[in-house]
Amino acid sequence: MREWVLAALSQYGSPALFAVMMVASIGVPLPVTLLLIVTGSLISLGVMNLWWAIGVAIAGSVLGDQIGYAIGRWGGTALVSRFGAARGASGRLAKAEAQMRRWGGLGVFFSRWLVSPLGPWFNFASGIAEYPWARFVFWDVAGEVVDTAICLGLGYVFSDRVQALDAALGDFTWAAVALLAAVWLGWKLWKALRSH
Amino acid sequence: MVRRPPNLLILAVVFLVALAATITFGYRASQHARRLRLENEPIRAWMSVPFIAHTHHVPPEILYQAIGVEPHPHDRRPLRAIARAQNRPAAAVIRDLENALARAGHTHPAPPAGKGP
Repeated sequence: MREWVLAALSQYGSPALFAVMMVASIGVPLPVTLLLIVTGSLISLGVMNLWWAIGVAIAGSVLGDQIGYAIGRWGGTALVSRFGAARGASGRLAKAEAQMRRWGGLGVFFSRWLVSPLGPWFNFASGIAEYPWARFVFWDVAGEVVDTAICLGLGYVFSDRVQALDAALGDFTWAAVALLAAVWLGWKLWKALRSH
Repeated sequence: MVRRPPNLLILAVVFLVALAATITFGYRASQHARRLRLENEPIRAWMSVPFIAHTHHVPPEILYQAIGVEPHPHDRRPLRAIARAQNRPAAAVIRDLENALARAGHTHPAPPAGKGP
């Protein structure tokens, strides 16, 4: 899949970039970081136009994110209220929705670039929690702009080292996800120990 | 001795796993970052000839000549497409390009630290 996606970018340019960014944002696991890095490299080679590539990448990502949000809002909500109510989880659901409304914006923003593997999940969760759409779009576009700028910029600067750069960024992202989990678990642990 | 409830023990174990994952991935990221300065890019079937020439700092004509293709100013075909047109496996095209790079003195030279780009 990885070879196929990158070959499509190499051969077809912007249409392939748009399609892959959109599909990946819905939740299909595709190598988007490497795709953006290679795009940056192709820009430095003069094969692709900088501003056009930025626009296409952001448009594809944001469209995919909107689809994920819509699936969560109109599909996920019905599913959760049906099975959640059956299991007596309505109280916990209401709490989760309140948390999403409070912290959802920052979650959406950081899950676009810093902890990007969580991106599609935040789209679904935002839809399920009925996080206001206008705010979702604002944080989504802001996050995707940062993500695109970082990956294209690094690809442009390290245009002859795209694979090593992708490996470094991939591990850095997972380190950030693990650190986030460690901080949250550490906080829960501290609270639990104090209550004993 | 105070007996901790099982939930607390599970939480502690998962916390330690997350901490270990943070350290492991952080270390791997730093190792990959070091490779940025030390190694050339391996050739892959998705790459085009101008892209490979760019990553190895050689004129594309050398590479086109090695695989028996007329140089194209705006050639975006990946190696797999060239291999398909030549009716041979992509691995054979990659091998020819690696040999051409070796002849040109660009076989993953691993420049000493501090002298890279």
